[in-house]
Amino acid sequence: MATIAAPTHAGHAEASSQNTGIWSWIATTDHKRIGTLYLWTALFFFLVGGLEAVLIRTQLMKPNMGFVSAETYNQLFTMHGTTMVFLAIMPLSAAFFNFLIPLQIGARDVAFPRLNAFSYWVYLLGGIFLTVPILFDVAPNGGWFGYAPLTTVQFSPGHNIDFWVIGLQVLGVSSLAAAFNFITTIINMRAPGMTLMRMPMFTWMSFVVQFLLVLAFPPITVALVFLLMDRFFGTTFYAIAAGADPLLWQHLFWVFGHPEVYILILPAFGLVSEVLPTFSKKPLFGYNVMVYSGIMIGFLGFGVWAHHMFAVGMGAVADSIFSMMTMLIAIPTGVKIFNWIATMWAGEVRFEVPMKFAIALIGMFTIGGISGVMHSSPPADLQQTDTYFIVAHFHYVLFGGSIMGIFAGIYHYYPKMTGRFMDTGLGNLHFWGNLIGMNLTFFPMHFSGLYGMPRRIYQYDSGQGWDLFNLMSTYGTYLIALSTLVFVWNFVRSRTRGAVAGNDPWGAGTLEWSIPSPPPEYNFAQLPEVTSRYPLWDLKDPSKTAGIAHSHADAMTITDAHAVPVHEETERFTAKELGIPMPLPTAKPLFTAVGLMTMFSGLLFLRNDLFAVAMTITIGGACMFIGGLYAWLTSPLE
Amino acid sequence: MPKLRLREAGPALLFMVVLLTLTACGDTVYPNTTFTRFTDLNSSILSLWDRLLFWGTIVFVVVEAALIFTIIRYRKRPGGPEAKQIHGNAILEITWTAIPAIILVLIAVPTVKTIFQTQAPAPAGALKVQVIGHQWWWEFRYPELGIVTANELYVPVGRTVSFELTTKDVLHSFWFPAMGGKRDLITNRTNYMWFTPNADLGTQAWNGFCTEYCGSSHANMRIRLYTVQPDEFESWAKHQASPAVFNPLAPAAPPATPVANASNRRPAVPAVDTAPAQPSTGYVFPIEKLPAHVVPQTPIPAGLDFDDALLAGGDATRGATQGFMLGGCIGCHAINGVPGAVSNIGPNLTHVASRHTIASGLYKFDGPTLARWIKNARHMKPGVIMNTIGRGEYDPGMKMTVTAGLDDRQIADVVAYLMSLK
Repeated sequence: MATIAAPTHAGHAEASSQNTGIWSWIATTDHKRIGTLYLWTALFFFLVGGLEAVLIRTQLMKPNMGFVSAETYNQLFTMHGTTMVFLAIMPLSAAFFNFLIPLQIGARDVAFPRLNAFSYWVYLLGGIFLTVPILFDVAPNGGWFGYAPLTTVQFSPGHNIDFWVIGLQVLGVSSLAAAFNFITTIINMRAPGMTLMRMPMFTWMSFVVQFLLVLAFPPITVALVFLLMDRFFGTTFYAIAAGADPLLWQHLFWVFGHPEVYILILPAFGLVSEVLPTFSKKPLFGYNVMVYSGIMIGFLGFGVWAHHMFAVGMGAVADSIFSMMTMLIAIPTGVKIFNWIATMWAGEVRFEVPMKFAIALIGMFTIGGISGVMHSSPPADLQQTDTYFIVAHFHYVLFGGSIMGIFAGIYHYYPKMTGRFMDTGLGNLHFWGNLIGMNLTFFPMHFSGLYGMPRRIYQYDSGQGWDLFNLMSTYGTYLIALSTLVFVWNFVRSRTRGAVAGNDPWGAGTLEWSIPSPPPEYNFAQLPEVTSRYPLWDLKDPSKTAGIAHSHADAMTITDAHAVPVHEETERFTAKELGIPMPLPTAKPLFTAVGLMTMFSGLLFLRNDLFAVAMTITIGGACMFIGGLYAWLTSPLE
Repeated sequence: MPKLRLREAGPALLFMVVLLTLTACGDTVYPNTTFTRFTDLNSSILSLWDRLLFWGTIVFVVVEAALIFTIIRYRKRPGGPEAKQIHGNAILEITWTAIPAIILVLIAVPTVKTIFQTQAPAPAGALKVQVIGHQWWWEFRYPELGIVTANELYVPVGRTVSFELTTKDVLHSFWFPAMGGKRDLITNRTNYMWFTPNADLGTQAWNGFCTEYCGSSHANMRIRLYTVQPDEFESWAKHQASPAVFNPLAPAAPPATPVANASNRRPAVPAVDTAPAQPSTGYVFPIEKLPAHVVPQTPIPAGLDFDDALLAGGDATRGATQGFMLGGCIGCHAINGVPGAVSNIGPNLTHVASRHTIASGLYKFDGPTLARWIKNARHMKPGVIMNTIGRGEYDPGMKMTVTAGLDDRQIADVVAYLMSLK
């Protein structure tokens, strides 16, 4: 591995000496620091969700195992799903949105730095709110898609579902705020010459995801508001005694839930689209088609939600339409797979750790895609839905796809984030443990499912033909858990012990690699003027991008008179020295987020007949929220 | 080069995992397999599945082979060729858009055909069965035959059985893997599904499951299906449609006393004054023919003790006249022919002793298990609505110890009574 001399200022930690200590993190409005916070927090929740998976698999290791109770098991699988989707994978993607988007488009921060901090704090508080109940055995227990009417007070009188509905509602605020922020950032803050069709693929896929978030969260918000009002104020949206139709929840949930799948996978697609060209020494194959297929996936993703509901009896016509729409989505996804392979074709493929994860994504996601087509056919799906075959499918998509892509991203961008490499030996150990572990865990689930094992059962009899598959899955999970510990050790240790990385440790072509690692607070001392998709390759190795159209930024795109041609920045200054105005540190977003969370949590007491307590907390929280917002909006940004 | 070895070890190990899984299929039996052609429904589904598997395998092999070939062929080697700078190729990209599209058409056409074929109305002359989901058990009604039963379903081979699916509470899903696809039970809605067990299927027992998460005991909401010959079905149906025949097992018990008691005290006691009970109890799936995988194996939880010696002395008559009332059984369970026992909250017990399982396929139907079930059902099946009845037992639902309720001797009486309801 290439070790490049440390940047001019000896250590990276001293670089921003005035910005250390806990307060500097609490009050930060720097997108890189917020990205780092997202990364650490999301990795923590990833470990929590993983621990839940280990407990689940231990219970299922043998027939009638009796390791945990039915009630605990139901909480474990609900929280495993909820944690991995909302508290691990989405925020892991958000970590990359935060850290990378401004760097990739040549901006100095996101459009709304304080809103960005607010998104993070709301996520953190919502995550804690959702996770703590499991320590007291009162965690949500309605499954991650929380089908009505099981989640209504009639069938779930405890506080379990309250935590879920409030937690998800609050997390939605975080996602929406972040999505608007990134859309504005990408549209308005690109460097001169960074046209849309020159944006790095990760930024492009993130851009698509932000629109998915903005369009998919309203339906789930409506569904959750209904449930919240049912549970706390006695409305009857899902009350079966009042004649409610439970399919209302299912439609609203899956109109969100299916685009959500693409919200989880597209950032990973974006990350591997950065990794593959870098380690093949070739530009991405078919850039335009990759962009269009990403948009196409996002668009079609809104038209396929009812394929989660083939067993509910929608009728032959609806089943046929949703089936064909679902099959259609396989086409742009297939195009991506082939274009990635073509990117490596005739290249110089270097098997660095991030590349291994990226290649694994192609191989594993393909399996998930094929099983996906298998249940796009409703009659076949009726034998598969709600069995372990489905569990196998979505873990190949989310573990084999999203998680592999995110790990590729972490190993790839760790040097940029910290200025140091992660250890290659440990990285390889992690990779092989993960790859073998996931196949050992999830491949047998195809069989247990097709041999009749329903999902979400906490015990089963022996002699059903499932024993061996379950045993294999459990050992596979242990292997994943062990390799994840290797990763954690590597991740923590490399911050101080890893080999020092320079600006561009991998020989990549996009803007973020032209500045020091870790980037200074202002990112770019001089805004770069971009003339192609791989500006750094133009600079260092023009032959790689010779075939791609170049044009200089014109008067329309140059908004900053100080813009200069792309160059490598090696000097490190403070923003003050350069006279670059940076957003002031402020804790007001945190204060406002605490207000929001408090406001919602007051509702909990409403169902204990503690009206006065509930109102005090809720109104107190609301005052905090409004006060925080007022103080925030009336104080200057810079 | 240790790096290269590691790289080759990975795929080899992966391959071994797959191989192991495949060989595993060889020696074990899969009693709940979905790969059957035992019904018309599952024949259609399996034909579709075969096509999906065929194309899926081809795509899998092509993509993974292309991937592995590319990374080996074009790995960076010292002195190897420089990367060729290709940025795209319109013809190639159109090709690999078009080929998947063609494959999908080949899947979509039979898919739509099968959808319309399997969702058509059931053919005339089908046997109607109403399936009603409860947390966490199944109620089966044969409206044309006047039968109400629970958790164990009898269907004759060679005749279409048409299910009408509803639920009393939350969502459930009705599934026999070997018979065909599942269908959800949706509150405030009615769903339909039908299939025809092959005429040559033989008298056999099958497992079924609830496959929509429905709360604490979702895992414990199992079904047994008996496919029987038409004459066997007729015999079973005829007896099941008849009211309960109270038939005390113990011949020693003086028959006069309970009758006198009954007429004296209250009218709502079993009618035991009918003609001498017929020993014929209709056809029942022979217990010795049950394969191991349909016999429940759930262990009885530790700490749930019952003095089994009392069971031998259980008095069915006393169970019927006292225990069934005192224990509150009558509040939830119907027994056809017993005035007052009409509630529909729990399973209908008219011919409960003709079943082979209790608690929705969770436990074997026998005296000791039944006694423990009555004593503390909530300890045996998490979240179950049925109260803990044993005096001095801790009720995990109410989180308190039961002070009223029945003692072991009274429970033994109730067990004796229920065991007589053939």
